Amino acid sequence: MIKIEPDEFNIIAKYIRSISGISLDQKKAYLIESRLKNLIKEFGCSSYWELYRKAKSDTGKSLETRIIDAITTNETLFFRDRWPFELLQHKILPDLIEMRAAKSSGAFPIRIWCAACSTGQEVYSIAMLLKESLPDLQKYDITLMGTDISATAIVQANSGIYNQFEIERGLTRDRVKRYFSPLGNNWKIRDDIRAMATFRTHNLMLPLYSSGMFDIVFCRNVSIYFNPENQKKLFYKIADVMGRDAYLIIGSTESVVGVCPRFEPGRYLRSFFYQLKN
Amino acid sequence: MKNLKILLVDDDLFLLAITEKSLEKAGYEIETSKTGEEAVCLISKYPFDVIITDLMLPGDMDGIDILEAAKAADSQTEVILITSYASVDTAVTAMKKGAADYLQKPVNFDELNLRLEKIRCMKSLVKDASDLREAMDITEDKASETIRNLEMMVFDLQNKLSEMEKKLRM
Repeated sequence: MIKIEPDEFNIIAKYIRSISGISLDQKKAYLIESRLKNLIKEFGCSSYWELYRKAKSDTGKSLETRIIDAITTNETLFFRDRWPFELLQHKILPDLIEMRAAKSSGAFPIRIWCAACSTGQEVYSIAMLLKESLPDLQKYDITLMGTDISATAIVQANSGIYNQFEIERGLTRDRVKRYFSPLGNNWKIRDDIRAMATFRTHNLMLPLYSSGMFDIVFCRNVSIYFNPENQKKLFYKIADVMGRDAYLIIGSTESVVGVCPRFEPGRYLRSFFYQLKN
Repeated sequence: MKNLKILLVDDDLFLLAITEKSLEKAGYEIETSKTGEEAVCLISKYPFDVIITDLMLPGDMDGIDILEAAKAADSQTEVILITSYASVDTAVTAMKKGAADYLQKPVNFDELNLRLEKIRCMKSLVKDASDLREAMDITEDKASETIRNLEMMVFDLQNKLSEMEKKLRM
């Protein structure tokens, strides 16, 4: 494995930050080595500098996409941490429905965005939860959108296919049986759940082109990869697409208050959420 | 890490005995069974790391039934099938059903030991990963509690500060 030189590291880290927002400090040099070594080999480069040059000069951006895929951490599982889903089921959904029902009769929209959804487990978990907590699902016009910067991750999310190992993480046997069908050695999400979600690639550092505002935004364990400046950018961008009574849910070890003054924290039992200040 | 707990299933008593002896010498913990029914019964009672079974067995239960029962009881149990040349096709089908490996009779003990060692290594890696994850969960849990409290504190302080600023300006 080719070792990365300090000045090469600086160039590559800066490049990665510019294309994805992800910040890597000198301690993460090993990460760049292990994640990019296969690309170095595949593209016949003799150094990381050469890989960088090839990526920059590639007008089709295909090498850049490959680098993003290689660098991004796709650690995710179904119903990760559990508390956000309990929050959704016992506080957010009932509150939203109560508020909306008072204002209008007939189908009203619930718009949910999972930013950095990786391979889709979070999105499908929300879909399963919606199916389980809302018996009259057709009454609601539900939009459930998952985005991620990694094209490979989105491809898998779109396919709804997970291997044995991924299925076992976070799902009870009951849920596996109810929502997945076996496909060879893998499992595929059932059509009715699949139909509830849409996926597309999106770079959180760029503007999100979507019509309308979201009611619920999940943005969990993304800001931890950004430096303070990009964290601020991220949360401001999210605030711009949130409706007045909307909820933001972030990762358990993340912080918003000192980063973006547009939000105020709220607590529900052991769960935390954020809403826009008046 | 403790040594692997292995169940041997074969109706050939001689083969069963010499395999048991060889594996015990290698340090593994061995249980044996002469029939499929007995094996399935044992599987339901005790957790086995590995099951080594003949594909062909007398009675209603064969190696495939044992494979299915083992995976149903614990998906982490690895099943090695012993097959005679004539049933290689069935062995391949069994692999598709989740068998870890198949060996042809007569069993070469060196080869068997190598396969078992590979299984042992993998299980050890899986355990390490799971231990790491557990440690990470605990750390994350504690950190998140601290951070949640700090968030609330900072928010309160920010509010107090802006209130004071407002009062000062008046």
